[in-house]
This record gives sequence, C-alpha cells and structure tokens, in this order.
Amino acid sequence: MNIVVCIKQVPDAPSIRMDKERMTIIREGVESIINPLDAVALDAALTLKGKQGGRVIVLTMGPPQSEEALREALAAGADEAVLITDPRFAGADTLATSHTLARAISRLKPFPDLVLCGKQSIDSDTGHVGPQIAEELDLPQICGVIEIHLEENSLIVRQVSDGFLNTLRVKLPALLTVSRDLTVPRYLPFSEIERAFACRDIVRQGLADLHLEEGEVGLKGSATTVLRLYRPPPKRKGEFLSGSTEEIVESLIKKLESLSIIDEEDAGE
Amino acid sequence: MKKMQENKRTEGIWIFGDYRNYFQNRVTLQLIAKGKELAGRLGTEMTVLVLGHQVHQFAMEYTAHGADIVMVVDHPALKTYQVETYTRVVARLVEEWKPHIFLAGATAFGREFFPRLAKRLKTGLSADCVSLEADPEKGWLIQTTPAFGGELLADVITPEHRPQMATVHPGMFKERIHDKKAVSGIVYPEVQVEADERVQLVRSKPELAHKGNLQDAPVVVVGGRGLGSKENFQMLFDLAECLGGEVGATRPAVMAGWAEEHRLLGQTGKSVKPRLLITVGTSGAVQYTTGIQAAETIIAVNQDPNAPIFKMADLGLVGEGRSVLTLLLEKLRRRL
Repeated sequence: MNIVVCIKQVPDAPSIRMDKERMTIIREGVESIINPLDAVALDAALTLKGKQGGRVIVLTMGPPQSEEALREALAAGADEAVLITDPRFAGADTLATSHTLARAISRLKPFPDLVLCGKQSIDSDTGHVGPQIAEELDLPQICGVIEIHLEENSLIVRQVSDGFLNTLRVKLPALLTVSRDLTVPRYLPFSEIERAFACRDIVRQGLADLHLEEGEVGLKGSATTVLRLYRPPPKRKGEFLSGSTEEIVESLIKKLESLSIIDEEDAGE
Repeated sequence: MKKMQENKRTEGIWIFGDYRNYFQNRVTLQLIAKGKELAGRLGTEMTVLVLGHQVHQFAMEYTAHGADIVMVVDHPALKTYQVETYTRVVARLVEEWKPHIFLAGATAFGREFFPRLAKRLKTGLSADCVSLEADPEKGWLIQTTPAFGGELLADVITPEHRPQMATVHPGMFKERIHDKKAVSGIVYPEVQVEADERVQLVRSKPELAHKGNLQDAPVVVVGGRGLGSKENFQMLFDLAECLGGEVGATRPAVMAGWAEEHRLLGQTGKSVKPRLLITVGTSGAVQYTTGIQAAETIIAVNQDPNAPIFKMADLGLVGEGRSVLTLLLEKLRRRL
C-alpha cells in the first residue's frame, strides 16, 4: 500500500510573538514543529505500512526551511520526501494550496492508495486542505478519523462527528484526515533525526516541475484576500487584583458568594 | 468548470439548513437570523436549503424562524448526510441559482462538506467565522475568522469569486423568536440526485463520551498549559465538584493528555455559556476564548499580569494556578 502523508511545518504555539505595530507575526527565531495532527497522520501511515508493506511518502509545501519537517518525517520512518517550494507559492489560500498539493500528488507514480492529512493545522486551523485535495483528485474523503482497519481494496474507519460515532467503509484510493484520538506519535530518538539530516535525499519541486501557471498558485491563485488583521477588542473591563495567594483566594470566594454560587459564610465562623 | 460570475449576476444569501439533532443544534437558526440581517443590508433575499428525506417539517420551522425562501430537495438518497453525494447535488443547485453568499454552521459536517463544495465551485471559503458583516457598496461579505494561532482576528473577503462562502462558529448569533404567522416561499428545484457509492455508512450511534454536560453546566472551570501538570489539572475536577460544575480544557491541555478531547473548548471544540466560568493558567488565545466569550461571568487566574485572558475577565487574579487552587479547595471544603 502506498501512502502519501501531507504535513505542514507550523510555529510552535507558545512561542508565537507579534509585531504590535505592523500587526504581523514575528517568524524569526520561532521554533517550528510538524503540525501535531499531521504527526498523528504520519504515525498512522507508518503503522499501516508495518502491517501491509508499501511505501510512505511525505509531502509538504512551504518555504525552504520546511525541509526540517521532512527530515523529521524521514527519521520517523518515511521512505520518500517531497518539498514543494517556490517563492510564487507564497500567500496561497486553501484553494490555491490544495491545487498545488493535489498536482504534486497526481504526478506520483504509482498513484497512492491512500492520502492522509491531519484534520487541521494549529496555525491557520481551517481544516480545508484535506477535503479540497480529495475534491481535486476525485477521491472519497472522511474527516476526523479515529480508527483505521484494512480490508481488501477498502478501509473500515471510525469517525466522531457531531456527537455520533460513525463506522464507514471507503473504497481505495481515498483521502482521510485524522483526529487527535487516532494514535500517539512515536518518540523520535535524536540519533534517528541526525541520521535523516545526514543522508537522505529530498525531492524539490517548483512551479515548472509541477507544470503549474503562476496565476493558479500562491496569492494570485487564491480566491480570498485578507482585508485586515487585528487584535480582538477587549470585551469586558473587569476588576483586577494581584496579591498574596491568601488575598486572591479570599476575593475569589467573595465573588462566588456574590454570584450565589456558594452560600455566604455564617458570621463568627 | 466555468466561473459562474461570467454568465449571470449572483443574488441572494443561502444558508445550509442542518436540521440534524434539531433541538440542540441551533446554528442554522442563528445563521437564519444573521442571514436575514445581511440580506436586508444587501437588499436581497435569504434562502434556506434543506436536503434530506421527509424533511418538510423543517421547511416550516425555518419559515417560522425567518427564512424568506426554503428550498427543499427531498430524496431517499439524501437521508444521511454524506459529503460526496451532498456536494454533487448542492453544486448543481448553486450553478443553476447562483447565490451571492452561502453560509453553513461550522459543525463537523459543515467543516467537511463546505471545503469540498467550495473547491468544486472554485470559490473561496473562510473557516469557523466568529462574525459576519456586509459591505453593500461592494457587495462583499466580510468574514471575521481567528488567525495566526488565535492571536489575531482576520477580516477576509472573497472579492471576485462567487458565491462568497463561510462556515460559522455555533453560538455567535442570536436566533429569532419562532413566529407561527411567518410566511415564506417554498421551492422544489429540479435537480438530479445520485448517491456516491464510494463511502458507505456501516453504522452510526450516539457517542456518549462526547456528550457530557459541559454545554449545559451552570459553572465551568477550565485549565490550560499554565497549570503545568496533569496532577495540577486534576484539582479542577475537585473544584468543579464543589461548585456543581464541569471541567473544560484548552487545546494545549488536551494535547498534553491532561484532559479528554471532548472537554476541549474554543474554536475547534465546544462553546459554553455558563453563569460562571473560572479559567486557570490559560493565556487567552482567541482560539480558546471564542468558546467562552458567551459566559455570563469570567474569573481568570494567571501568573502573567499581561496575559490576554485578563482583557475578557470580569475578575482577573494574578496568581499561580496550583497554589490558588490548593488554597481555594481547602477553604471550600472547610465550609462543606
């Protein structure tokens, strides 16, 4: 079984800092990680490969430094890595991103049996790219998968969706996006990462390699435009208190009393 | 596929009528109220699209809640919500009727179905919007969506492609009162319906672990990364018990394995509106705060006096989560 895993390099959430004047995110010096749900997808792919054989190909679109994410995936056990990178891919919305990724997948030989993505990324959080790749490649899709079982030419998967646990059968080839509950990404020994950085080749593909036109990708190929980027306005102007733990807890208890969440303490106690 | 704006001007606001679990899933009704307001500003009509089998009662419900038009496609193959089948049918309807704006609730199904539909229509889509406005001069839908790890909000537009599509976070708008006298136009469009056989639903059952009482709880206590350990996070369960409440968690706390995914609040989790919400060790990223902004009262405890969470708290307390919780529990228990 040949599996493609789409991964994205994202800034590690707690280290995000903002340039308050320009209203942009400071990217320099920010730690990057493989988007956590994409790491879950990679782990699922490696587990399936372990059962079934085949190859795992990791794919990412991003700036040249996204190579780090691919190296990490190779260290985890992926067989091949493809870096889709070109300055003209920058500024893509999900429509343009899915177009570029779908093109890269469609050019793989043989065409994969399964495409796996994380359900959403922690930075932009849309969850659009998986289903949009599926649409462009005319693959059936199931999002938010928590279990995968192999059958002949099909998969049985489970998905939690809007309060229901659904069991579905999907014909291969197919695209699945995976949820946090699927599996826990395996721990990577540092030596493995070093090995991956040292000796493995990564295939790089740009606009021309993918036979794409400039107008189909990046900002130009996008349907949406960001008008404004701003910090959300403060909603409430409340009381504010700093002090000893004792004082803080006292004021908290007073508040609970005034809201009648707890009864007021009897006098003299 | 041809771009639809080439042949005909687009008109009208469409809302995807998700009637499943009608009494809990109010997002369609919230969108009807907002859609009606936007339609007024743009001088157009608002249509609710209902797909399913024997779903006429929902046409009546949506009329009573304010729909100008309800478009009903009733067919046995549409009985269960299935992304590929729904995409085929709805894409055909959009190509024929050419709506200007098309909205759906950001339910799990909405977030699976709308990206595929937008892609087939080759138009833009914004995810999980927290606010929508109209620009009548330009005919734009201004879609406000959290961006960059939830630190910021982005106002997104789809300047040229139509329809302008968005999924909308549940709980952002207030539904209109049910009006028995309301009248709407009902349309039964002629459209070819064929099921996509590649995905088959084997079975479906309510997922009890994912229900919980979180959304109905009068008190919700939430913990985030700042609590530092699973052991510290456990104290929230004790606090919730003392106060007759439930426990919620932020994304980092869930990712760390301190709480189950069904306790996740915010953009990718649940929205709550308790009488009181106590939030401990949460910095206040928008991705989290969209899930708690409807709480009547918010008390925030955080070590960092500059944490954004204090901007939305009614009572902000600068303190270390673990020691505050330890002392608070001790005092509360003494009273019981």
